[in-house]
Amino acid sequence: MTKKAEDLVAFIQERCLWQFVSRANDREENINGVLTFMEEILKGESPKLETPMDRLHFANANRLAQEVKVAFPWLRELPGEEMKEVVSGTIARIYELTVKNSLNGELNIPGY
Amino acid sequence: MPMKLLDCDTGIPEREQHVYIKEAGEDTTQYLPLSNSATIPGSLSERGCAFCGAKLVIGGVLKDTIQMIHGPFGCAYDTWHTKRYPSDNDNFQLKYAWSTNVKEKNVVFGAEKLLKKAILEAFDQMPAIKRMFVYTTCSTALIGDDPKAVARAVMAERPEVDIFVVECPGFAGVSQSKGHHVLNMGWIHDKVGQVEPKITSPYTINFIGDYNIQGDTEVLQRYWHKLGIQVLAHFTGNATYDECRGMHRAQLNVVNCARSAGYIANELKKQYGIPRLDIDSWGFSYMATGLRKVGDFFGIQDKVEELIEEETAKWKPKLDWYKERLQGKKMAIWTGGPRLWHWTRAVEDDLGVYVVAMASKFGHQEDFEKVIARGREGTIYIDDGNELEFFEVIEMVKPDVIFTGPRVGELVKKLHIPYINGHAYHNGPYMGFEGFVNLARDMYNAVNSPLWALAGQNLQGEAQQ
Repeated sequence: MTKKAEDLVAFIQERCLWQFVSRANDREENINGVLTFMEEILKGESPKLETPMDRLHFANANRLAQEVKVAFPWLRELPGEEMKEVVSGTIARIYELTVKNSLNGELNIPGY
Repeated sequence: MPMKLLDCDTGIPEREQHVYIKEAGEDTTQYLPLSNSATIPGSLSERGCAFCGAKLVIGGVLKDTIQMIHGPFGCAYDTWHTKRYPSDNDNFQLKYAWSTNVKEKNVVFGAEKLLKKAILEAFDQMPAIKRMFVYTTCSTALIGDDPKAVARAVMAERPEVDIFVVECPGFAGVSQSKGHHVLNMGWIHDKVGQVEPKITSPYTINFIGDYNIQGDTEVLQRYWHKLGIQVLAHFTGNATYDECRGMHRAQLNVVNCARSAGYIANELKKQYGIPRLDIDSWGFSYMATGLRKVGDFFGIQDKVEELIEEETAKWKPKLDWYKERLQGKKMAIWTGGPRLWHWTRAVEDDLGVYVVAMASKFGHQEDFEKVIARGREGTIYIDDGNELEFFEVIEMVKPDVIFTGPRVGELVKKLHIPYINGHAYHNGPYMGFEGFVNLARDMYNAVNSPLWALAGQNLQGEAQQ
């Protein structure tokens, strides 16, 4: 993971609740949904909002994008491919922290 | 050695798995306190029981519902009136306690007839009330009473009434948390979808996990109203029984207390496709963020910005006055679970106050993931803390103020450390913009009160002279 992705991960870990919902599959859905939309917003694109879940991810992503613009102004100046790399690294690391390597024993139990 | 065996725990070394001190460079895949597990024998827990989690926290808040406790009267009394959640109908839910008052003969011969008699008597005494929760307790669960059968019989006899049965005796889980779970899952299974709410706005939400502590719901409801958002159900602050039966029609679930009510939000997503948006409604900056997210979801950003501007103009100068005077104070939070992660960054960002120790009575590992991610290095994180641990931690971190419940609060007061009721508040509401000013004011008054030092003086000799 690059230093840029590491900084972004630390920021997201501290500020965002969507990565910590109760179920592993919901965490994964949120991580991918929010961070993909965040990248699109930072690139000046408008995410396609076709479902209620799209609108949820947009709500979380837009807020994060606005905060990231202030905290890490360099991010939206990055060329497209480089930004993609930072965001992919961030997605992978957040997934590791909150799903794949999480010590939370309740993430996958059927009855939670 | 980030997991910490406190000196007082040398006789119960298992406690090491429940106490964590965060160090630089660590994350929750390396260390995460064990939680939502049975209290270790020898550890004097501050936890409540599973029944309490269902009744005191969630069910008992409903403003139009009889809360029939099927058990000895103590179960009713001890979960009545200790948490101040008012309502806009003259506080019906705070005025009465209902119990079947089970005695020894009922334990021997069965208590179902007693339950039916009590249910009918309560409805007869309060003819305007047509809704009821029935709770089992330890004794009536152990003797095998079937309260659901009794409720069905009553509803067959009286079609105008509706009864929800919570089968969650005190021993059912390791803490209050089990009661939250049982009530959430029972409600979605038995009651949600039975009432069709009247939709009056293009924007509809359920606000989940707010219990109108000292008027929290009223503050938030003012925001939703200004934004033109219809709240189909507050789960359960100032709510009615039937509002909560119509939760399936909302477009969005906005969740504050994810511990006590995350389950119903998850189920509403799974069963009805309603997205779950987690926010922090404690904290000045957090509240603005939460509202902006709701605005983004519905596409009403302008209205949200207008509201935030108004509230900021009104309350921010007051908040800043307290911030100037509280800057650098050290705070401990010893509450249920979620307030640890709701508050730790909020008090630092908004008030310059540092949280140096946190203990959770019933939080799960999900709560510790959140709080460790948000909390400071060097801060102590404890699951299911006991009294001796609290004494030791106080010596270690020397907090200026402790937010906790009345039980631990009594201990703290005897040590002459400023204490604030972190569960039911001192002078709330604490949610929303004005709420965080109230919290700051209570903290300021607590840390500056001369009473704590005076209480430590021995006046006996002087009085005898």
